[in-house]
Amino acid sequence: MHWKPIQLIYAALFAALMGIGANVTSYLVIGGVPITLQSIIAIIAGALLGSRLGALSMTIYALVGLVGMPVFAGFSGGVRALVSPTFGFILSFIVVAFVVGKMIEKKKKIVTSYAFFVAFIGLALNYMIGTNYMYFAYLWIADAPDGFSYSMVWLWMALPLVKDIILTILTAVSIPKLLRMRTHHLAETKQTAS
Amino acid sequence: MFEHVIIGQYLPGQSVLHRMDARAKLLCLFFLLIIIFMTNDWIGYGSVWVGTLIMFFLSGVSFRYMRKGMIPILILIAFTFLLHAFFTKEGTILLSLGAFSVYSGGLQEGTFIAMRLFLLVWMTSLFTLTTSPIDLTDALEQIFRPLERFGISPHEIAFMMSIAIRFIPTLLQETEKVLKAQVARGADFTKGSLKDRSQAFISLLVPLFVRSFRRAEELAYAMEARGYHGGVGRTKLRKLTWRRRDTAACLVVFCFGMICMFLRQ
Repeated sequence: MHWKPIQLIYAALFAALMGIGANVTSYLVIGGVPITLQSIIAIIAGALLGSRLGALSMTIYALVGLVGMPVFAGFSGGVRALVSPTFGFILSFIVVAFVVGKMIEKKKKIVTSYAFFVAFIGLALNYMIGTNYMYFAYLWIADAPDGFSYSMVWLWMALPLVKDIILTILTAVSIPKLLRMRTHHLAETKQTAS
Repeated sequence: MFEHVIIGQYLPGQSVLHRMDARAKLLCLFFLLIIIFMTNDWIGYGSVWVGTLIMFFLSGVSFRYMRKGMIPILILIAFTFLLHAFFTKEGTILLSLGAFSVYSGGLQEGTFIAMRLFLLVWMTSLFTLTTSPIDLTDALEQIFRPLERFGISPHEIAFMMSIAIRFIPTLLQETEKVLKAQVARGADFTKGSLKDRSQAFISLLVPLFVRSFRRAEELAYAMEARGYHGGVGRTKLRKLTWRRRDTAACLVVFCFGMICMFLRQ
């Protein structure tokens, strides 16, 4: 299937937004925890672009980082990210965008409560895939010995999880707004095009 | 603070590694990663060290620059080393500290794994430092060509990657503009109650998306006006050329891997 230029550019746009969202930490601080906006941008990408295009745009994000642009958190990038234990989170964004997109596509009208539900499914997927990957990455790449346990990995993720829950609530509130903006925007575009 | 985003990690240069074809480098890197993961004894690690050092000298990257890039990863490496040193219970006891005791097997295992991580990061960094993202995107476009059969267009993927790279600085400016505009209207991102800050956050998010979408549309119109129609029959500004020395480099790395395998037994 071939995309229209505007769809290609939307996907690229969200890939770029991910790169920025990963590194705006110096601007936004809530409760002392520096913030990366990656998980919520992945959720929004799924909601606004739909499942296929959303997942595509997250794949582009991963690829742009792998070819060496410093778009991953902490301005890192390059093939070395492949051997980093946190690479699972980058992969999880693809799944998050796809699933969120599918769930949004199913409903005609999105109410805030449904947006909440969808956004939290997205966040849960994000952490499930990311943290499990991290665990297995430590097992395989670093050959972690027996003293290293599954709960240890989850404990590390507890602090960022709290911040992401707050962000996800905010995002869930914004999703209906953003969706309205998109429909409005598309109508406007059609008028100017005709 | 965002200056290095635009440049990326690529260091322009004229060294042997810089002039190699990006596809050849990717292939060599693939071989080298396999070699590192297969290595499990002192001789193996020794030869991989020698190989990496040779590549480092060929790359022309300064030692100081390399050191700066490696420091962040040292924490992970040290952590891994300690994990192994304390938890692997093999060989003879060298040292006892209360409940913990350090075994000789643990020290050796820790050193191996630390070296493996270090070499992995070093090698992949060398690759990234000597290959420009644009070259690599072009290389990926060719490598992904078999995917066309599954309905994925490699041209479109490469196109989106270049647009995304191009969009990053633009969107950063947009973010800063929206931020300043909202601060001018009284939004405060750094203090206030959770509710106030949440509102400030939404007031940043929504306009940012509106502006980004507008940017995207402008670009799409410009492309359609110029008759863009995907990868078919499109000519290229930059062309990758596979030279004889690229074949030679791949062969050298391949033979190196074979020797390592041989020494392993």
